Amino acid sequence: MEYLYIVMISLGIYVILASSFNFVIGEAGLISIAHPAFFATGAYVSAIAALRYGVPIPLAMLLAVVVTFLVSVIISLPALRVSGDYLMIASIGFQLGLIELLKNLAITGGAGGLSGIPSFLVPQIGNGGYAAVVWACAIAVVLVLRYITRSDYGRAMSAMRDDELAFASLGRNPMWVKLWVIGLASAIAGFAGALYAHFFRFMEPDQFDVLQSAALLTMVVVGGMRTSLGPVVGAVLLQILPQAITFLNLPPSVLGPLQGILFTGLVLGFMFFRPRGIVRMDPVWKGALQDAPASGGTHVRGA
Amino acid sequence: MSAVLEIDGVNKSFGGIRVAHDVTLALSGGKVLGLIGPNGAGKTSLFNLVCGIVKPDSGTVRLNGQVLDGMKPYERARLGLSRTWQHIRLMSSLTVLDNLIVGARDYPGENLARVLFSVGSTNAAARRNAEKARDILARCGLEDTADKTLSDLPYGRQKLVGVARAMMNDASCLLLDEPMAGVEGQSYATMQKVVREAAAAGVAVGVVEHNVAFIRDLCDEGVFMFSGRILARGTVEGLISDPRLTELYFGT
Repeated sequence: MEYLYIVMISLGIYVILASSFNFVIGEAGLISIAHPAFFATGAYVSAIAALRYGVPIPLAMLLAVVVTFLVSVIISLPALRVSGDYLMIASIGFQLGLIELLKNLAITGGAGGLSGIPSFLVPQIGNGGYAAVVWACAIAVVLVLRYITRSDYGRAMSAMRDDELAFASLGRNPMWVKLWVIGLASAIAGFAGALYAHFFRFMEPDQFDVLQSAALLTMVVVGGMRTSLGPVVGAVLLQILPQAITFLNLPPSVLGPLQGILFTGLVLGFMFFRPRGIVRMDPVWKGALQDAPASGGTHVRGA
Repeated sequence: MSAVLEIDGVNKSFGGIRVAHDVTLALSGGKVLGLIGPNGAGKTSLFNLVCGIVKPDSGTVRLNGQVLDGMKPYERARLGLSRTWQHIRLMSSLTVLDNLIVGARDYPGENLARVLFSVGSTNAAARRNAEKARDILARCGLEDTADKTLSDLPYGRQKLVGVARAMMNDASCLLLDEPMAGVEGQSYATMQKVVREAAAAGVAVGVVEHNVAFIRDLCDEGVFMFSGRILARGTVEGLISDPRLTELYFGT
């Protein structure tokens, strides 16, 4: 039972990460790979604040959210001023640079990582209770992002993704939209990091490396980009599969490569047979107000 | 009759090619000005310079007396400068109605905090914008297209949607880039009506167009551009009957 709770907690955290990543690359069409780095930022800020400075955990988690928001905006600002391609380059730089930094700073515990991070809520409510909290957060994140996507803000995001120049010429500020999208999604990833740190109580820099970017991208693409449910399905599927194959009792020399083969195979398979993922997006943006009228009946976006 | 848009001594070179050579031009409210000239004369480049998409090497652009130099395209649009594109540039994942709504002057979806925390004001603005968009679509004879997407419409009607979208922000200056290219039949007549109505409402309209009949029917005045220079300004009839300009246009 305890094992199941731990799997559920890990699943919930990946649901939060995949959903917020979809918000950036799917809904807003911004090419960034640094989502695991923002996950790490949140995890490390919260852990260090609580472990080294004795900050009360709820406050440390809040701090993690604020710092991740600010870091993501500061990293993206110069790149967004130039053009879309630079965001990808900046995100690669941040993703790789942060992991090196975490490996080499004393305060982050270097390559050995941080251990003995104070736990949050678990002594009071147990693993089951914490799993419930994580899933409540995950559901809230999915619903809030879905609300935004279907609001007037979502219409602006779709318009910007389609044609940024036309969008700007209508009097809309694309940079402002992008900054808030990245800031919000990164802050959510930072929050997921804090949830992670205070449950697992140990972490090392390699957990947040660029392979995590590939894993998150796979979750979003396989699950269904630009839908609210797709990233949830993708996260659950791609978290459960590796867990499942560990039960096969294969030797580690086979198990290690098998995970990579599984991910790659899934992406290739989906590319050929179901390029839009398990949950298919509606190519036309639909707002919350448009589902009710007769005309909206045929499409229900990301249901 | 005061100038709404003033272009004053604007220069721009791309490498050795001069797309604007000391261009000075004024557009007045309530008037339609046609920009005529062969391909490569710098007509669309002039629009891009005015809209802030291309930065001029020198010169000044003013809208209703306010200097626009250094402003970004979205800032200029907010001050009342609206344009259409030769290749339409409608958003392909939005319906026609949503294409218009996203161009509204007071668009709540620009501000995440407003959308999340000020639901009442957001909904009120959203209702106003949807109503206005439907109103403009009706005036352009596009009521039936509201829920359609770009790919459902013939080219001529896509162009009309582009013009309809440009009218969403109550601009005082409207720049139309080849509104008639590829437009025929009913859409042609509607386009004329829509542009005339905009001018009658006091908007300063600038039109780049190769369709001489359209220019002659619609424009109060025309300017002839050639390799980045304005060579002549006058009645459209006068410009197209000038043998010197005709020669430049057809390149004999």
